[in-house]
Amino acid sequence: MPPKRMTANRDRSHRYFPGKVEYAQDALSSDSENSDAEVSSAHQPAKPSLPKATSFPKDARLAANLSKINLDARRAQAAAQEAERLKREAEARAKEEEGFVTDDDNDEDDGSRREQESGSEEEEQEESTSSEDDVPKRRMPAPKFISKTNRKQHSVPVFNEEELAAQEDARRKERADEMLQLQLEKQAAAKAAGKKDWDDDEEGLADEVDDTDDVDPEEERALWKKRELLRIKRDRDAIESAEKEREEIERRRNLSKEEREAEDREYIDTQKEEHEGKGKMGHMQKYFHRGAYTFDADDETKQLLNRDIMGSRFQDDARDKSMLPSALQIRDMTKIGKKGRTRYRDMKSEDTGRWGDLGVRDRRKDGDHRLDERFLSDGDAERPGGTGANAYAVGERRKRVDDSRDGRRDDKRPKYGR
Amino acid sequence: MAHQADEKRMLDDRGYTGTLIRGANPLLLFEKPVRDRIVESMYWKEQCFGLNAATLCDRAVELENIGGIYGAAQKPSKFLCLAFKLLQLTPERDIVLHYLRQQEWKYLRALAAFYIRLCWQPKEIFETLEPFLADYRKLKRRAREGFALTYVDQFVDDLLTKDRVCATSLWKLPPRTQLEDLDVLEPRISPLGEELEDIDADRQDGRTEDDSGSDVEVLDDGHGLGNGHDHDNDTDVDGD
Repeated sequence: MPPKRMTANRDRSHRYFPGKVEYAQDALSSDSENSDAEVSSAHQPAKPSLPKATSFPKDARLAANLSKINLDARRAQAAAQEAERLKREAEARAKEEEGFVTDDDNDEDDGSRREQESGSEEEEQEESTSSEDDVPKRRMPAPKFISKTNRKQHSVPVFNEEELAAQEDARRKERADEMLQLQLEKQAAAKAAGKKDWDDDEEGLADEVDDTDDVDPEEERALWKKRELLRIKRDRDAIESAEKEREEIERRRNLSKEEREAEDREYIDTQKEEHEGKGKMGHMQKYFHRGAYTFDADDETKQLLNRDIMGSRFQDDARDKSMLPSALQIRDMTKIGKKGRTRYRDMKSEDTGRWGDLGVRDRRKDGDHRLDERFLSDGDAERPGGTGANAYAVGERRKRVDDSRDGRRDDKRPKYGR
Repeated sequence: MAHQADEKRMLDDRGYTGTLIRGANPLLLFEKPVRDRIVESMYWKEQCFGLNAATLCDRAVELENIGGIYGAAQKPSKFLCLAFKLLQLTPERDIVLHYLRQQEWKYLRALAAFYIRLCWQPKEIFETLEPFLADYRKLKRRAREGFALTYVDQFVDDLLTKDRVCATSLWKLPPRTQLEDLDVLEPRISPLGEELEDIDADRQDGRTEDDSGSDVEVLDDGHGLGNGHDHDNDTDVDGD
């Protein structure tokens, strides 16, 4: 944030606030040296006074040592160093600027001014660093003109903190770039070695099956011969079976009709035997159906499909369920004891009709045991008028109120009398 | 054909103007679930984009197995992806024949055989593929779980006889006998040719005989070749 003095009213008198840090107005004033002089002098009264109580550690030894520190010595030393340096620079400049058409006076004045400035800056810096350790104020050194020859002489360039930081960043970036490069190279090498991303699971299993040729040429050739012969055999069998079918058809055509029927009967009989050979369904046996879905299967599956399911019994299966009590005579024995089973046994036992039991018709003439006419059979009570609801004639109609008066009632609703 | 980043257009029937195989977009020869798996697979997206007939060879020579769909997630094999690419490209007859007849790379040959079985007419299929029933090189087939060993001639035989190969329902091929009856094809001459006749003659005669130059053990009991101890005779030149 820019110091408040930049925008604040310069002419306003500065009030003292305890604890408030005053910012000096640097850049805006025209004579930098004057402002510097002012600032350097004004800096001291504007400095906040030290607090009465200190949070500094109360280590006695440390405190004692502190008091011993003499900053003046350091300042004097620094000033001496500066003076030396400036002198050297001035000499060097004077040497090579002899041919220059410049204002020597100005240069010297500038040099002296700079000396003054740098000296005062040094002081300030020392003060500021001693008094405010955590926020040291940084002053940029004023740019000096160094001619081309002088530039080369700087073997150890003096960098600022910011430039140092920039150098550090550059170095870090270099290192990161190197690491990235290494990683990319590794990836490329892995790819070249054949390890691809989408084939992770293939490597281990694939080695079990070996597809290199010419491992054993004779054996391979022999295996191939075997396969080829099998193929030929298969083709020939197909041709033969087609031939046989055609022959069979021809033969049947040539037979007479009776012979054909005889053959058919034979065939059906053999089929029946096959079915009977398979287990029959016993009384109240659970019906396991294979399922209607079939497909073109190989021999094994065909055997499975044609197996005899109904003939199989499991361990506790009773062959003759009529021996069991009626509660256990259930088709599906797994449902015993469970709530949701159906009580249905078979159609015959559940049927309530009387099939072929016509004995009841003989009892028609027996008057002693004559039933109520409602329970008689239809053939029994045949009245001339009809049966059931038609058995009686309709009685007299009840008298209605509005029949007596002809059209003289006001309300339309017919009123039925009691 | 322009190679666009989104290849879904090729699966869209409406604007298709390329070659028709069996009267439809050739990509429809693969079933919908298989097509979806292929198009979503990493191999297709990374490696099969923008291939032409020449660069497809580069991919095909890297093939290591044939197969259809494998794994729980129904991942398509690279063979299947490249076959799909071939269908998309519908290269010319000569190119496909070259793929088939080159001797060096067997998986490329298998790929071409697959393509031919899908796309060409029955007569051409039989005529082109039957010579390769003599190629007994090994192939690695990726089954649903794990790998299996098979042979080029076995693969070609499957293509000619089975209904489903490599996760694709093959177009129904009329049986060879039917084509022979129609005089479209001639009866097949097996590469075993002369040896076969000799075997037949021996069988009918009821004798066992070793012919010169043949290294076939005559089958009496109906078992095939390949017994370990029979091979000792195979190295003899005379065979007597």
